[in-house]
Amino acid sequence: MNAYHFGGGKSRWVPYAFLLPGLLLYVIIALGPSIATTFFSFTNATGIQGAPIDWVGLDNFREFLFMGQASQDNLAALGRTLIFSLFVTTIQFGLGLLIAVLVNQKLKGTNFFRTLYFMPVILGAVIQGLIWSLFLYPLGGPMQSILDIFGLSSEFFGGPPSEAFAWVIVVQIWANMGTTMIIFLAGLQTIPSEIYEAAEIDGASKWQVFRNVTWPLMTPSVNTNLLLNIIGSLQAWQLFLVLLGYRNGTQVLGYLIYAVGFGQTSGSVTSSFRQGYAAAASIVLFFLVLVLGMTTQYFLNRREKRILG
Amino acid sequence: MINKNIQRRPIKWGKVLSYAVLIIFAIIYAGPLLMLVNTSLKTLPDFMKSATSIVTSFNFDNFVEAWNRANFPRYLTNTIIYTVSATLVYIVTAIFLAFPVSRGYIKGAKFILLMFVVALFLPPALIPQFQLMLRLGLYNNPIGYILLFTINPIGFTILVNYIKTIPIELDEAAAMDGCGYFRYVTQILFPLIRPAVATTAVLHAIGIWNELILPTIYLTNQDYYPITRGMIVFQGVYGSNWPTLAAAVLIMTAPMLLIFLLMQRYIISGLTQGAVKG
Repeated sequence: MNAYHFGGGKSRWVPYAFLLPGLLLYVIIALGPSIATTFFSFTNATGIQGAPIDWVGLDNFREFLFMGQASQDNLAALGRTLIFSLFVTTIQFGLGLLIAVLVNQKLKGTNFFRTLYFMPVILGAVIQGLIWSLFLYPLGGPMQSILDIFGLSSEFFGGPPSEAFAWVIVVQIWANMGTTMIIFLAGLQTIPSEIYEAAEIDGASKWQVFRNVTWPLMTPSVNTNLLLNIIGSLQAWQLFLVLLGYRNGTQVLGYLIYAVGFGQTSGSVTSSFRQGYAAAASIVLFFLVLVLGMTTQYFLNRREKRILG
Repeated sequence: MINKNIQRRPIKWGKVLSYAVLIIFAIIYAGPLLMLVNTSLKTLPDFMKSATSIVTSFNFDNFVEAWNRANFPRYLTNTIIYTVSATLVYIVTAIFLAFPVSRGYIKGAKFILLMFVVALFLPPALIPQFQLMLRLGLYNNPIGYILLFTINPIGFTILVNYIKTIPIELDEAAAMDGCGYFRYVTQILFPLIRPAVATTAVLHAIGIWNELILPTIYLTNQDYYPITRGMIVFQGVYGSNWPTLAAAVLIMTAPMLLIFLLMQRYIISGLTQGAVKG
């Protein structure tokens, strides 16, 4: 604790009084509920006002993971979440890195390109989704015209589940690549230019410079991006809501939790406000994020030690 | 050196290739937006005839129709009220929390900071939050909806870190001159931490503006819908009338684009905070 200068006695309580609203809001609205999710996952809570809440032990988890057709669907959604995350993470990471290196060169117009690539990030899922629904308009829209050139065709979001799912991956990457790029750029800009000059004098090729100088020195931004991409993509589902609705064969865990807990569905899948069950499902997703995040962190730390030591 | 302009410069293939890639991606990024603008200026029959034809005569009726028919003024007003009031409450409460925590002027400062950092590693609050709001009678209630957006752990840590860069001697000097706590925070500290406040406020406001899930969960009365939820309703009604829908999307996009272009520096600094320090 630092020495406090704004008076003693009663006025020593002034900072406590002023910080109270912020602290209370946080504890009541975020921290408390966050911790209470574990409690609710062991109950049969519903979204109906005044309905009693009973303790049901591990029933929700048992039902979610091991009971009949529903748990088959749940596990399929879990698998889809992993596939979505794998594709989004790797492609977004790779493209973000490539673009960051390109716009970090001394070229004219790089500011324009940076701004353009980053822009979708701030538009939000509704606008991102609607823009792409139009771009992928199946009756002679722009993407259809492009595919026509190659003799291809797609029904886009109206196509078979796996096809629709793949297009959501495309939109997800388009929407968020800008963040990855910006973080890589910040990492690239911490590398002093003298190092590049020295490498150039030594006659190193561009690839050698990237491989042996740039790549190791941008380790912190590599770590940040990889973790952010993995965690973000495991939890992302808003674009599914906007682009596909709750459609069989396309759901990811985040969407499933929402649908089960709040009964907002469209299409053939029905659900009720089973909030205890939904809480259990979100604990499952939480563990998935935790385990994958921590495993990644572990390997990144080992890699960092190897590079630095 | 004199010969520099006479000698033919060799073509720099690296540069050509870089531009080629950048332009391809520029098309992927600008294309969907240009299609949106193009479509919004068309009439429906024109669009049906050819979706991709480029407009020759501008038709602004779509914007008028979207504005009048979509209940837009209402949704937009709601969004602005939610965004401005929640961001204001958040910023004011966060500064008064971040300052003593950052300075260590209070007992348990480290613990409070820890409480915000662990938030990123806890399960989502969605279900218990809903149960709480339901029991407090704040379901389908604009005040309750605003309350949901009065917290932001990342913004809080940005503020705490920034306040650390303001020398503590300044606190001492001001106190010595008889400046009280409240006046110090509002009139001396606040102007000095404006960049961090701008970053935090912009990121927070963008999040509220774009939020779709929480209004879907908490607001059932159409009169309370923010623009995001309103757009989804509008899409349901006008789903096949792309020119009007595109105009509506543009109306919703314009304020965000404006904020983005004006505040880009702050947004980017917020997103890269701590990302490269490791």
